[in-house]
Amino acid sequence: MRGCALRFDGARLLLMAVAIAAVSACEVEKIVIAPPPRELALHGVLSASAPSQVVLLERTRNGSISIYAPSFDLESALGSDSGIAEGKARVTLTTPDGQVVRAIEDVTVNIDRSGTGVYRFYLPGSTLLRGAAYRLSVETARGEVLTAETSLPGGVTAAVAEPATFDRARDTMMVSWPAVAGASSYFVRIETPFGPRSFFTDSTRIRLTGDLRNVELDALPRVFIPGFPQTITVSAVDANYYDWFRTHNAALSGRGLINRVTGGIGVFGSLVRLMFKDIDVTAPQLEPIAGRFDFAGTRDEGLSTPYVQLNLYVESAASRSDQGDALSGNYLKRSTLSLPGCPVCGLLGTVKNGHVELAFLRAWSARDTAEFFTGDLFGDTLVGRYRGAGGVARLIRRGPVTR
Amino acid sequence: MVAGRVLVSADTGAPAPAAGASLSIAGSGVITTSGIDGRYALENLPVGNVTLRVRLTGHRLAERTVRIRAADTVRLDITLQTDAQLLAAVLTDARASDAELFLSKPNISTLAMSAASMTGVPAVGEPDLIRLVQLLPGISARNDYNTGLNVRGGEADQNLVLLDGYPIYNPFHLGGLFSTFMDATVGGIELRTGAFPSRYGGRLSSVLEVTSAVETRPGLHGNADISALGATGRLAGIFGGGRGTWSVAGRRTYADATTSLFTNTIFPYHFSDFHGTGTYALPGNVNVAVTGYAGRDVLRANLAQFESDSVVTKSNRGQWAFDWGNRVLGATITKEIGDRVRLEQKFSASSFATTLDLGGGAFAQRSNIGDVRAAGALLATATSHDVSLGYDVARQRIRYASGSEQTGSNDFDIEQRPVTSAAWIGDMWRLSSHWLVESGLRAEALSGRDWFALSPRASLKYFVAPDLALTAGVGRVTQTLHSLSGDGPLRYFDTWLASDSFIPVATAWHYVAGVEERVRDAGSVRVEGYAKRYDRVLEANPFEDPRVRGDEFLSATGLAYGVDMIARWQPRTGAAGWVSYSYGMSTRSRDGVTWAPGNDRRHDLNVVGTWRMSKYQLGARFGFATGTPYTPIVGGVTRRIYDPSTDRWGTGDPTILIESIGGSRNSARYPVTHRLDLNASRDFMTRGARVSPYLSVANAYNAPNVFVYLFKYSTDVPTRRAISQFPILPSAGVRVAF
Repeated sequence: MRGCALRFDGARLLLMAVAIAAVSACEVEKIVIAPPPRELALHGVLSASAPSQVVLLERTRNGSISIYAPSFDLESALGSDSGIAEGKARVTLTTPDGQVVRAIEDVTVNIDRSGTGVYRFYLPGSTLLRGAAYRLSVETARGEVLTAETSLPGGVTAAVAEPATFDRARDTMMVSWPAVAGASSYFVRIETPFGPRSFFTDSTRIRLTGDLRNVELDALPRVFIPGFPQTITVSAVDANYYDWFRTHNAALSGRGLINRVTGGIGVFGSLVRLMFKDIDVTAPQLEPIAGRFDFAGTRDEGLSTPYVQLNLYVESAASRSDQGDALSGNYLKRSTLSLPGCPVCGLLGTVKNGHVELAFLRAWSARDTAEFFTGDLFGDTLVGRYRGAGGVARLIRRGPVTR
Repeated sequence: MVAGRVLVSADTGAPAPAAGASLSIAGSGVITTSGIDGRYALENLPVGNVTLRVRLTGHRLAERTVRIRAADTVRLDITLQTDAQLLAAVLTDARASDAELFLSKPNISTLAMSAASMTGVPAVGEPDLIRLVQLLPGISARNDYNTGLNVRGGEADQNLVLLDGYPIYNPFHLGGLFSTFMDATVGGIELRTGAFPSRYGGRLSSVLEVTSAVETRPGLHGNADISALGATGRLAGIFGGGRGTWSVAGRRTYADATTSLFTNTIFPYHFSDFHGTGTYALPGNVNVAVTGYAGRDVLRANLAQFESDSVVTKSNRGQWAFDWGNRVLGATITKEIGDRVRLEQKFSASSFATTLDLGGGAFAQRSNIGDVRAAGALLATATSHDVSLGYDVARQRIRYASGSEQTGSNDFDIEQRPVTSAAWIGDMWRLSSHWLVESGLRAEALSGRDWFALSPRASLKYFVAPDLALTAGVGRVTQTLHSLSGDGPLRYFDTWLASDSFIPVATAWHYVAGVEERVRDAGSVRVEGYAKRYDRVLEANPFEDPRVRGDEFLSATGLAYGVDMIARWQPRTGAAGWVSYSYGMSTRSRDGVTWAPGNDRRHDLNVVGTWRMSKYQLGARFGFATGTPYTPIVGGVTRRIYDPSTDRWGTGDPTILIESIGGSRNSARYPVTHRLDLNASRDFMTRGARVSPYLSVANAYNAPNVFVYLFKYSTDVPTRRAISQFPILPSAGVRVAF
């Protein structure tokens, strides 16, 4: 992946150079500039595993709307992301057999009026023909026209995830898949609490070691986090998908992205999910703080505590004496109708000299925290307090998590 | 004919032969150099009174009026007087000075400077040769953070940098902020910015020859320079009864050590250099010279250690390991056969290697170039012709690879082993007392590509008067090594690939015409106009596909033209300096689109002055330059990521990535820049050593020169921020010489 790697390398080096320059450089002028015209931007992927095919249509950023980056809402991909959604467009897909299918904009069917700029073709992925061209056409309310074309790779769709357990201290995962006709490349993506680790490969086989680091994030955290379920997918992708997602525009020149959309900027690609794994990541629980902690209290206290069990791992030991060890794991909610969401969710935290701080995640992403816990470890007992729920919580270590 | 010996006073007071002294007849173009025994002979002289000038660095200029009669030989021994001003730390420069070049060769677009003339010029942190070269005409620096040379509209990879005649790749530290040449080790430089003689090849824009300083004084001598950034030390001396010389030097920055010593902060970077030379005169007029250089930059960071905050631990962070460095080892054997023939044979090995390793093997990228070379030359001097012929054979080993050890994936791995070979012939014809004609032909070939080229070179000089000459030159140049570094404002180092069956050879023609006048012995004024036509010039392809070999570069045509002017005043004592001005225009074209490269600068003025008094030395430099082009950013597009596990769109990351959208390429220009740098030092003599504390201030009046513009379209009012180049930047240190 030379193209991608070159730019990646450049981006890292630019960061380094700017950091060096920052020692002496400073801002000497800041002026308001006139907003440039907004182009049409298209994000469309035909997926062989999707129940329906979604195309996002928006305008490029020109400084007319601020980005606040609120929690991302999967049901409103543009609206929750401060995107400038382009609604009321006529979006059609011409199938290989000449049929013209018109997309329905989500906003017209969603009760909460969300989904502006989200155009959906009610075409299950299983009905898409492989190796044949699908032509997308967009006509906006202002009469602008945008066109693009893609061709689905072959291969058998992996519809259901295979479960697996992965001890990151001990295991190495060999992942392989069959070569697929029409695939420009294979896209590997591993979900992590801090953001996905993804890359393209021309090979049909990769090795995943437990100490893999996520080089897409500046902090280079580990990819596999104990206590978290993590998904691995491998997809065959077409040339449009490959070229758009492997390239970036250089920050200072604005060049580099390969755009094959006529009349605007963006991607209209296609993919076939070939491999789908759900792995439970574990690690040895040898430290005093590591293990399963159960709520300890009276029956009445048990009825009011929001969290009944923690599974903790030392994710990374401290590398200097004034830092704490990094913790990861998951927590089990008390069964109740008043706590929606996952029954078991992720947690991240630190421990230093027995003092423990934990962030209870809303689900499995590090960017959404539901609750904080601060406490201290006394022998096998963890005593502390929740910031939101309040009250004193006592949890007793029962030993390593058993599976 | 005039013949005799050049002598200097040895420590005992007895005269000793002076090798390497330059002898010239004013206004005639006749020049020679004294041999190891100090002997010289000047022939083909005009009848009548002539002025014989004898120069040897570290000694005063000697002039003798000699009456020449037809068919007569004048015997003349000349004893040179030591120049007391330079006695404390003389760096002997074996190269001919600018004055000798003026008399002896057309020296089109050639500038020579000795170490002595470079001292006192204000420095930024560390005295730096490349930064000094940037102050010469025709050379433009993109900005303060870049020591890459853009010569007459050329990219930074179009410059051949030679250390004692051996190529050195990427001679920069800290992403281009400093060069690898330690000030104390430099004896002199010779810079050719166009229409090179036939012995030089392989680059399209310039040749910078750096000559190591050679110690010729008896005893042990040394230099040390301790600055805010690092420490440099050099020891040198002679051995074998004066037949041999040696020197070793080293430098290391210590910000990493001092930062961790006094603060909790980590500064995980340092660089180091080692430089060594040796020369020895064997019996039979055979001289051997050896040069070695090794430099290394190390940036290794455990990101987990960067924070001391105990609340939010950073212990899950990974490690950076980014090392790069270059090495050169070369040997030169020369043999004088009589007074007229000189044989020279060079062997060298030069390499540059860099490795970026993120997360302990999660991602690694490496780029290496190794160059093993043999080059030889035969130089024969006759009455009116100096004929030279030679060869140059180099085998490069290039590797550029990227992959992940942790996933066992290999993104790409390019390995090249090209062999370049060249044979050249040159002739320096002293046609008359008015005309010097230098012509040559260079034949070049490259393995791995059926490529062969003949590159003619020609230049001439017409002496309108003994101190005034008109010059003109033309030449074809080729380049088989190309850098993947882009055209951006920062150039960390070059990632090299060679021409092969996929990558073409870049070629250009140089055309130069000028006039030069010597003003007494110490001054000169030169004005040159030039045009450089690129038949083919390569730039990194920003859209390249790693699966495709051969799309690494995009080819373009180009044109650069302009006028360079320099006025120099370099007396042995008192005020010295130069004023240089360049006017340039540069364009590139491809597929009907024409743009200005990022180095295109219309006006560039530099005024450099140094004043040496009895104990004090003052230096100043003022620079004024019009802006270079940049591409304005005209918007942003949100990077949206499709998640194949959920078949939904998202941003894929905790932060939203906005891709910049570029407008017309290089359609805007940064504003003009100007900067005043100052330098002051004072000499103290103590126990036979000269101790010179110094203070330098870069950008003394804190001019807000723009480095880059950053556009922001993610707020409801779009903004453009200007990030500065160097603000006012003082640095201090102390030099010691004995």
